[in-house]
Amino acid sequence: MATAVVARPVARPQARARDEEVLVWPDLVFIEFIAALVFTITLFALASVMNAPLLDQANADVTPNPSKAPWYLLNLQELLLHMNAAMAGVIIPTIWLVIMGAFPYFDRDNDGQGAYFATENSVKITVVAGVIGIVGTWALILWDSGKIAFFLNDWFGLSGGDRLRFLENVRSFQSQVQWPDWASDIPYLPFNLKILASDAPGGPTEFQHIDFPGFIVEIAIPMLAMVALPTIMIYAMWRLGWVQTRRDALLALFSGFIGAYGVLTLAGTAFRGQGQELVFPWELKVSEGIPGQEAH
Amino acid sequence: MAVEHPASPTIADKIYDKLFHNYVWKSIFRTGYPNTPRNQMLVVATNVFLHLHPTRIHRTHVKVTHTYCLGGLSFFMFLGLTVTGILLMFYYVPSVDRAYLDIQNIQTNVQFGQLMRNLHRWMAHAMVILVFLHMMRVFYTGAYKPPREFNWVVGVVLLVLTFLLSFTGYLLPWDQLAFWAITVGTNIAGSAPVLGPKSRFWLLGGLQVGPDALIRFYTLHVIGLPLLAAIFMAVHFWRIRRDGGLARPL
Ligand code: HEM
Repeated sequence: MATAVVARPVARPQARARDEEVLVWPDLVFIEFIAALVFTITLFALASVMNAPLLDQANADVTPNPSKAPWYLLNLQELLLHMNAAMAGVIIPTIWLVIMGAFPYFDRDNDGQGAYFATENSVKITVVAGVIGIVGTWALILWDSGKIAFFLNDWFGLSGGDRLRFLENVRSFQSQVQWPDWASDIPYLPFNLKILASDAPGGPTEFQHIDFPGFIVEIAIPMLAMVALPTIMIYAMWRLGWVQTRRDALLALFSGFIGAYGVLTLAGTAFRGQGQELVFPWELKVSEGIPGQEAH
Repeated sequence: MAVEHPASPTIADKIYDKLFHNYVWKSIFRTGYPNTPRNQMLVVATNVFLHLHPTRIHRTHVKVTHTYCLGGLSFFMFLGLTVTGILLMFYYVPSVDRAYLDIQNIQTNVQFGQLMRNLHRWMAHAMVILVFLHMMRVFYTGAYKPPREFNWVVGVVLLVLTFLLSFTGYLLPWDQLAFWAITVGTNIAGSAPVLGPKSRFWLLGGLQVGPDALIRFYTLHVIGLPLLAAIFMAVHFWRIRRDGGLARPL
């Protein structure tokens, strides 16, 4: 029995260009030393003028309002306000990390390697996708917190009346639409169960129930927004002739992500006040206490 | 005709000679300042700290605007956090009765204690930001492309580890900020389908943030995660060398 080892085309390190090289000592070591020095000095300066926060001792009975995760998780906490918790907190971040980890396995040629914005259109794609990420995410946040309807009404006197109330934010789609009763209580069978007579030895079949409007609002619409909007953006850029390679597609996707991620982090950190209401940063305050009977 | 004599050694030369050419000094530093290219390469190749580097690199990579030193600074933060973290460990006991008081004690009674705590805190924030920016620079320079695919994946793992390191440290002061941030954070983790509640229980050692959670977070923060991160960093750095240094245009 013969087994052949087939050499796969795996990329090899580039050949070195010795005449283009400089010595690590002193050229690189010097730069590293300066960078380390600058950071050491800056951090010492910062640490001597600004103290790390320390509030009262932990108390499980006194809930601050708002309670917030560390700032780098506030993007997820912000997402949490708009959709199903498992989706916002775990499924989406996990999927995104996997997608990001898979970047190099999707975009495999050497176009634009080793230098900033080396491919045609890359600056254009990055800037536009970044702006779309920023503006689009803000727009979605404002819409879902009912602010757009509020502004339209308050500033321009525009009101859709009751007929358009279901467009006020995502969840009003559930609450303002006349759903038939059965829609919020659709029985279904989990994967491996059979329908049994009610006097069967194992007892009657247990149905599970789906809340269809809830599913639409908590899962379908947010999922659609997160999958469809970037897809449409990349498709449009492709039709415009901007996106031509896989690298271009990733540039658009990643830059849109950076914009959206930045806005989510910022909104969660600086624009969410008591009860996670959307407020301006200067209106932020925290009160402590049992919800409803805060000390002040 | 005047003959040039070599100048006789000055006082400074003599002091220099006594300081740096004595038996003890030379036992530590075998050579003087490496002032020839050959010696400069030798020092990088043989010094335990410098040998993470190759002896020579492509000229485009010493431009600060190529890497902005972001990876190196992430590593520097990791080292600084290790040093300040060890100092804090001398005074901190991860028990619900003591943790908060120990932090207060560090701030008020320990020489430079407040400074150490501040440094540790701000460096932790800086590291999260630097690692994220490093990822962006790697992406925008297209440096994840072959043959560096796997090192990008190692990087994504390092990003997650950095978040986890910071998150586990957040609970330790045991104040209201810590307690509620971790409560919110672990609730997020607990909402995962199927695995969520179980993993939240494992992380907290119970159903809510309490003494068991504190000791778990502490252990993960001071040994478990740093060890993992150090292993992945070792792989990360080794792979950079194996992949032929930093990426450059073909
Ligand atoms: C604790 C976190 C990290 C540390 C200490 C670290 C350290 C470093 C260092 C020192 C370099 C050398 C070049 C430079 O400074 O830019 C580097 C390069 C690299 N890093 Fe990281 N890194 C970390 C996280 C990441 C992350 C999150 C990613 C990506 C998701 C990543 C992907 C890469 C890649 C692909 C290279 C090769 C770049 C090139 O060839 O130009 N690293 N890393």
